[in-house]
Amino acid sequence: MADDSPASHRRDPIKSSVGNVAAQRRRQNAVTVGKERRESLVRAKRLCRVGPSGDGDVPGEENDMVTDEEGFLLDAQTSSAVEDLKSAIAYQGKGAMQKRVNALRELRRLLSKSEFPPVEAALKAGAIPLLVQCLSFGSPDEQLLEAAWCLTNIAAGKPEETKALLPALPLLIAHLGEKSSLPVAEQCAWALGNVAGEGEELRNVLLSQGALPPLARMMLPNKGSTVRTAAWALSNLIKGPDPKAATELIKVDGLLDAILRHLRKSDEELATEVAWVVVYLSALSNFATGVLVKSDAILLLVERLATSNSLQLLIPVLRSLGNLVAGDSHTTSTVLIPGHEITDGVIKVLVKCLKSDHRILKKEASWVLSNIAAGSIEHKQLIYSSEAVPLLLRLLSTAPFDIRKEVAYVLGNLCVTPSGGDGKPNLIEEHLVSLVQRGCLSGFIDLVRSADIEAARLGLQFMELVLRGMPNGDGPKLVEQEDGIDAVERYQFHENEDLRNMANGLVDKYFGENYGIDE
Amino acid sequence: MAMVVDYKHDSSFPYWTSIRRRFAPDSPFFSSGNIERELLAKQVALDFTEDERNQLEKMIDTDARGVFCPIVGCGARLTLLEDFEDHYNTRHTASCSVCSRVYPTSRLLSIHVSEAHDSFFQAKVAHGYAMYECLVEGCDLKFKNYKGRQQHLVDKHKFPTSFEFFKKAHPSKKQRLKNQRKRAVNKKDEEVSSKMEVENEMMEGLVSAVSKLSTSDSSPSTVSFGRRNARGLTFVPRSVQPPLQKK
Repeated sequence: MADDSPASHRRDPIKSSVGNVAAQRRRQNAVTVGKERRESLVRAKRLCRVGPSGDGDVPGEENDMVTDEEGFLLDAQTSSAVEDLKSAIAYQGKGAMQKRVNALRELRRLLSKSEFPPVEAALKAGAIPLLVQCLSFGSPDEQLLEAAWCLTNIAAGKPEETKALLPALPLLIAHLGEKSSLPVAEQCAWALGNVAGEGEELRNVLLSQGALPPLARMMLPNKGSTVRTAAWALSNLIKGPDPKAATELIKVDGLLDAILRHLRKSDEELATEVAWVVVYLSALSNFATGVLVKSDAILLLVERLATSNSLQLLIPVLRSLGNLVAGDSHTTSTVLIPGHEITDGVIKVLVKCLKSDHRILKKEASWVLSNIAAGSIEHKQLIYSSEAVPLLLRLLSTAPFDIRKEVAYVLGNLCVTPSGGDGKPNLIEEHLVSLVQRGCLSGFIDLVRSADIEAARLGLQFMELVLRGMPNGDGPKLVEQEDGIDAVERYQFHENEDLRNMANGLVDKYFGENYGIDE
Repeated sequence: MAMVVDYKHDSSFPYWTSIRRRFAPDSPFFSSGNIERELLAKQVALDFTEDERNQLEKMIDTDARGVFCPIVGCGARLTLLEDFEDHYNTRHTASCSVCSRVYPTSRLLSIHVSEAHDSFFQAKVAHGYAMYECLVEGCDLKFKNYKGRQQHLVDKHKFPTSFEFFKKAHPSKKQRLKNQRKRAVNKKDEEVSSKMEVENEMMEGLVSAVSKLSTSDSSPSTVSFGRRNARGLTFVPRSVQPPLQKK
């Protein structure tokens, strides 16, 4: 097969006629295969299968390589293509450029065919140094584009494969410049996004090589796929855990403006990637959080939450809002003032998320509410009298565990006054009584029964509020009615000393010998 | 809006305080949202059906949310948090058919049954045999009386001094009233180590009746749960010391 010219690597015609069966096989494989493939599905790297101008293999029409036989064939073809590239580069005569482009194109096609491209074969055949050569300054755009595309897909795989791009990084960064054609810059950004998505080490390399400023500048235009790709690459680049990059990003001239502009006006796809940038800015950098809180960002996030129905967009927008509330006390104390329109707006969109079908929205919206409920008494009153409470009560009894835990935080926070300096919060009896009367106690006792330490702790703490705070000493009786005593007594043989002590403290104090004896 | 103002501050209980909770971007709290982001992005290329996506998410969820059973000495791996309740009901609710007390392991139940309901056990005790087993699995020491074992648990295994293996079960209201009347009549504090129900009834009768008992081992078969026996089991203080009567 070695002397076949690249153009004749055609798929066996018989296979392509059983499209349906193949598609089924492909899907089956994607779902039922082992851990490695599953991990690749949740990796923060993205394969490029369709080029900027729409060319390239259309996913869905080609069979993904599923059998070992086909994989073996593809590997062989790939090695061959790399060989061809090598000779094309060495060739000095007439039509050299076209030869190089053709060879690159063929390699690129092989690397774009399926969700699991033959990266290892390409690396083994020595693709990287050749591709680096093809990135040299002054090369024609087509060549740069194809080379960057190949590198993009090589970087989309396993960690060691991504790391192989190290020699190419300075050139990729250089081609982000404003003198580059847009498709070239975008493809380089994509490759760099994959590298950044690999891990902290590579992120630091990219940052020290100056990748951030040119990528940031690519976000400034109003629209275009380049803006979107750059935003995505940036979100990978700044995701830390070191907050330095996030802080550096928000300081880039014109960047805050661009973020707000995109959040306000851009289409949902672009807004989604920008929102992820905001997620990382707000989660990592206190400086960036402060800047964002003082701007219109919260208003714009609320707008998006109110008007969009795209889960992909709602997740980062909600989380950004959550991070801004969680990260800075100013958000609740100076922006989300109870009674102000913006605050009502926030509650409203959080309620919308609670009503949604999506687990993540329900969970993270509850988290945001719990942080607002950790604010002033007025904040607690605001939430208590809103539409949120009936929804939360229902979620507490019916939702999956991780949502119930967050809901518990909201409800409990509604029942205690803000923590003073001495850490002795008092109860807000009105809220406690009402919530208990509406049946929340059994939900908390369920948490006491769970194997999750944090949840059990919450349940016990709420039980304590009930035992202590229900008027007329009704607490113990109510707890007993919900089988609370039984739940608490389980802790006798529990490993966790903290919980054991809590549980026993409650039993001893409220269910001692004198329990139930009329005064 | 009424508030319950300061109560006697019992420093040991960590009361509910409302505080803001912030998470780092790589916190497990955010992981399901992150996974969702990537799955949604790749969904188009791979063309998942709804079912396949759910399957995938469940697979990923399961890996992340497995937990070990927190009951001492168990260590069973629960793949999903939801499994805990079932697991608990199956493995940790050994209940005594005589008095309905519940124990988290068969071994403890067996020990309870012997000590509380077995007349032969009491007879052997009366004859001076060391019958009270140490509750810690693998310790194997035996003692001649309840108090002796109790002391051993405290001294050797760091049990709290207020721990009671044989504790009063939760009496019904009727029983509670009865007890209270009884106490008022007797006018003495009950002993911290509550007397065995069986003791008074059976002791006198048995000791005289039984002359010689076979030394066949009546200790219950020990069923070992889980892998974590090596760790010192620390039982709980479930102190049922009756508080002083208030009038």
